[in-house]
Amino acid sequence: MWHKISWRLLRHELKRGELTIMAAAIVLSVTAVLSLSLFTERLQSGLLARSAEFLAADRVLSSRRPISDEWLEQAQQRGLDTANRVVFNSMAFADDNLALVDIKAVSDGYPLRGSLRTASEPFGDETTVINQLPGEGEAWVAAALFQELDLEVGDTLEIGQSKFKVSRVLTYEPDVGFSVFTDSPNVLIHYDQLEQTGLIQPGSRVRYNVLFAGTAEQLDGYYEWLAPQLNDDTHNWRSIEDGDSPLARSLQRAERFMLLASLLGVVLAATAVAVAAQRYCQRNYDVVAIFKTLGAERRQIQRIFILHLLLLTFISIGVGLLLGWVIQAQVIEFVAAQLGAELPAAGLKPYVLASATGLVSAVMFTLYPLLRLIAIPPLRVLNRELTGTDKLRWLHWIASAGTIYALLLIYSQQWLLSTALFAGGAVAAVLLLAVGRLFIRASRQAGMQAGSAWRLAMAGLQRRAQANSVQMLSFSTAIMLLLLVLALRNELLADWERQLPDDAPNYFIVNVAPGDVAQLEQRFAARDIESNDMYPVVPGRMTAVNGVPVRDEVTKEAGGDEADTQTNNAEQREGFGRELSLTWRDDLPPNNTIVAGEWWGDNPQPQVSIEEEVAERMRLSIGDELEFNIGGNTFTVPVTSIRKVNWGSLQPNFFMIFNTSTLEDFPATFISSFNLPKERQSELYELFKPFPEVSLIDLDAIMEQLREVIDQVSIAIAFVLVLVLIAGILVLLAQVQASMEERQQELVILRTLGAPAKLLSRSVTYEFLILGAISGLIATLAMELSLWILQTQVFEMAATIHWRFWLVGPLAGAIVVGTLGRLACARLVRRNTAQLIRKLA
Amino acid sequence: MLIQTTQLEKKVTTQDGILHILQPIDLSIEAGQTVAIVGASGSGKSTLLSLLAGLDLASGGDVSIDNVNLGDLDEEQRAKVRADKIGFIFQSFLLIPSLTALENVMLPAELAGHKNAEQQARELLTKVGLGERLKHYPNQLSGGEQQRVAIARAFIGTPKILFADEPTGNLDATTGHKVEDLLFEMNKESGTTLVMVTHDPELAKRCQRILKMDAGRLTEVSNDVA
Ligand SMILES: Nc1ncnc2c1ncn2[C@@H]1O[C@H](COP(=O)(O)OP(=O)(O)OP(=O)(O)O)[C@@H](O)[C@H]1O
Ligand SMILES: [Mg+2]
Repeated sequence: MWHKISWRLLRHELKRGELTIMAAAIVLSVTAVLSLSLFTERLQSGLLARSAEFLAADRVLSSRRPISDEWLEQAQQRGLDTANRVVFNSMAFADDNLALVDIKAVSDGYPLRGSLRTASEPFGDETTVINQLPGEGEAWVAAALFQELDLEVGDTLEIGQSKFKVSRVLTYEPDVGFSVFTDSPNVLIHYDQLEQTGLIQPGSRVRYNVLFAGTAEQLDGYYEWLAPQLNDDTHNWRSIEDGDSPLARSLQRAERFMLLASLLGVVLAATAVAVAAQRYCQRNYDVVAIFKTLGAERRQIQRIFILHLLLLTFISIGVGLLLGWVIQAQVIEFVAAQLGAELPAAGLKPYVLASATGLVSAVMFTLYPLLRLIAIPPLRVLNRELTGTDKLRWLHWIASAGTIYALLLIYSQQWLLSTALFAGGAVAAVLLLAVGRLFIRASRQAGMQAGSAWRLAMAGLQRRAQANSVQMLSFSTAIMLLLLVLALRNELLADWERQLPDDAPNYFIVNVAPGDVAQLEQRFAARDIESNDMYPVVPGRMTAVNGVPVRDEVTKEAGGDEADTQTNNAEQREGFGRELSLTWRDDLPPNNTIVAGEWWGDNPQPQVSIEEEVAERMRLSIGDELEFNIGGNTFTVPVTSIRKVNWGSLQPNFFMIFNTSTLEDFPATFISSFNLPKERQSELYELFKPFPEVSLIDLDAIMEQLREVIDQVSIAIAFVLVLVLIAGILVLLAQVQASMEERQQELVILRTLGAPAKLLSRSVTYEFLILGAISGLIATLAMELSLWILQTQVFEMAATIHWRFWLVGPLAGAIVVGTLGRLACARLVRRNTAQLIRKLA
Repeated sequence: MLIQTTQLEKKVTTQDGILHILQPIDLSIEAGQTVAIVGASGSGKSTLLSLLAGLDLASGGDVSIDNVNLGDLDEEQRAKVRADKIGFIFQSFLLIPSLTALENVMLPAELAGHKNAEQQARELLTKVGLGERLKHYPNQLSGGEQQRVAIARAFIGTPKILFADEPTGNLDATTGHKVEDLLFEMNKESGTTLVMVTHDPELAKRCQRILKMDAGRLTEVSNDVA
């Protein structure tokens, strides 16, 4: 019987629009969460696929030892594509010339993502995508090497014990990376030719890589199998998001932003449900009292209302899923068109997440109101004020807080982030509540002498002080989260813009002779070309730290018994294993900041400044004595400062910078970067004609791709912002609607007593205007606080104050809340009084 | 004895001190009797009914229905007593706004698990003249019509006792008389005990007993005096 009653109530109430707020809240929370998570998941996998080009694969496993074939077979069995890539340094000879090169030996299938481009002659304009690899006895060689070795296509290059015919010019490798200065020019050969070179010996310094490509599930499944067998010291498993390139950083930040924005969206959606749930139960107080008077048992009432709620929830979740899917499909289509790319389908997870959000928030937020509802005394039929006990109110707060925390946790699956957000939110909520009450008390005194609509508004604020401070909590929360997402988005975009301005350098030059520096700089100036400083480069090795040699190249003897060496020399540091580009300078380069020690200024004492991450990895600190070897000369200098370097800046960056007196006598070449718009490319020839030895590296391809990715991310972020905005408006709407229902009776009575509609709607509007403005102000305060924490702790950006928002917050709050209030009220007073009285009956 | 009170009193604490709404009342009503309670507004009539029906607890003394002391029962058990034995017509109707007239009337029978609730409800609504308005919601009905729905609801399941708080207060004379007739008919046919509050002397006169409430004090007046 009870299920019939339950269903009947639900059906009629749905039809009569009495459950609209609750249903809308659940529907929209499910919609928001679903479209947010579907969208971010699909977009992210799209972006990742797109950016995977920069790795030439989805994942790379690299190792200092050969990688077991069994691991490759396992991957292939799981449907993954694989390719081998082995990279090492070697000398290459062409006739009498020799140069240090990076040999890259790759197996069939490489690159798994992106493609190679080659040309038939160096420094030509023509370059084509090529879908094959160098054949037997062939090598493809980077343009820079043609210059260095005075090569021509068709010449022979000697590497180790093998001879290779140089058959093509390598113009673009997807995985070349952004470290233009730290790498030598590349020679690409086929993996099968590797052994013949005889260069791979036990103990040689070789990087073995296996590239993988496949679906996210395949990759994750494989990694799960692989992870237990990996050794942290020798193996490294990474995706495009790991690492230090500008792209990886952009992606990481975008991902964090989207996660955070979605989390805030989830919190907003849950808040909307919480507001609606409260109201849902309140409006049933009378019904329960009547049921009890008619002899309904507690058990029956429980069942009726739990079923009622569950049915409502499930129906709403269904509608929400449908709506979310439709919205997401539309947006994906639009975004895909913008990006010119397919976005891969998402898994089931977003659907589960969205349904869980709807169900969990509906059930948990209704738990306490429902308990109270069921405990309503039957005597309420005679005394409308009776609402039963309020003793378990703490239970409500605990349940609500726990629910929000659980949702954060479910959604982000990140313990720390959820806890930080939650704790921050809790503190903010308490503050908001306190400040809100204070404001209302203050405004009460201020409003006394005002005109009649104002007086009515003030009286209303005063009478509902308790309810209002809770209301303000949801208003402020919504406004705050909106401002937060908006401000954060602006910060992120501005940061990217700073990193990749239109005049970002798109050419690097290397190998400038010292005597040419001044002339080249003049030529840049004459043509109005923006260039970075010229940096001298001296190749050298770091050989010892505080008198202890670094383990740079594993020696033959040690190679046989490495484990032993390791235990004996626990103190011995791992070296770089290659020549470093050393430079000298008087001033700290731009985009570098000192984190320890002091920059030398004009102190002529020999000394060196080292990059932060190198210092960390090699356990170096201020005062350590480093020994360097430059062309057979060794010298020792103390570390006097440690620098943080922005590797995203497209300028020459260095691990080691010396003061001028230390290095200036060593032979050096100079490097720099400059910006020359594409349309002025023809000037290059004229510009560099007098300097035939200078090599030019074209960064446009990389820059172009980087820009594209950032554009895509910006679109994604804009969309997420819109969704969060909708969720925020929903909360405001739910709250306004709920409080409107609460004051319905009062309005009807005033109306019956002859209060003009204008007066009523004005006083309600003023009341909401004030509430909105105060909420907006508090929200701005809370937003600044949270943004400061997020910027410094999560996004690793500099903190900023957003003065604009101090105006925007209260203003937007007043306007939005005031307008919503006015609309809700207008609907109420437009009806004639008789209808209203009926409605209340 | 069907209804029996001994020294039943009700006090509430207000800002201005303790308010005695009901002075100690001793009252017994036998099965099948018809009883009218009259008295000025605010004298405590509705309060007495709510105590008799177990909607509220007394501050002192006892109420027993069918020799069961309501004070010994918990709220659940009192609900059960109401479901089994008591019908109620409230001063303010108390219909459920989101259920139709028919569904409102069916509700108590359904809650008590009766099989033919709908059939009974239709008949009762037709009896009170609302056979055409079964599908209407309370706010689509006039005050008097709502009251008739409430009356039909009180009749369903033929309760042993019917408490009515001004059952005809909102009705015109003709409908009022019809409803009165219904009440007394039920009393005759099913032996339902009627306890009703009324300001209408005519109605009071039709009852076997008249009780007068005066500032919380209940006195029996002989029928012909009222
Ligand atoms: N919970 C309460 N707190 C304070 N006073 C109460 C409470 N309940 C009832 N009263 C008061 O007790 C008195 C009796 O109320 P009751 O509703 O029983 O009157 P009544 O005789 O039914 O009046 P009417 O004929 O107007 O319906 C009233 O003055 C009422 O204000
Ligand atoms: Mg009364």
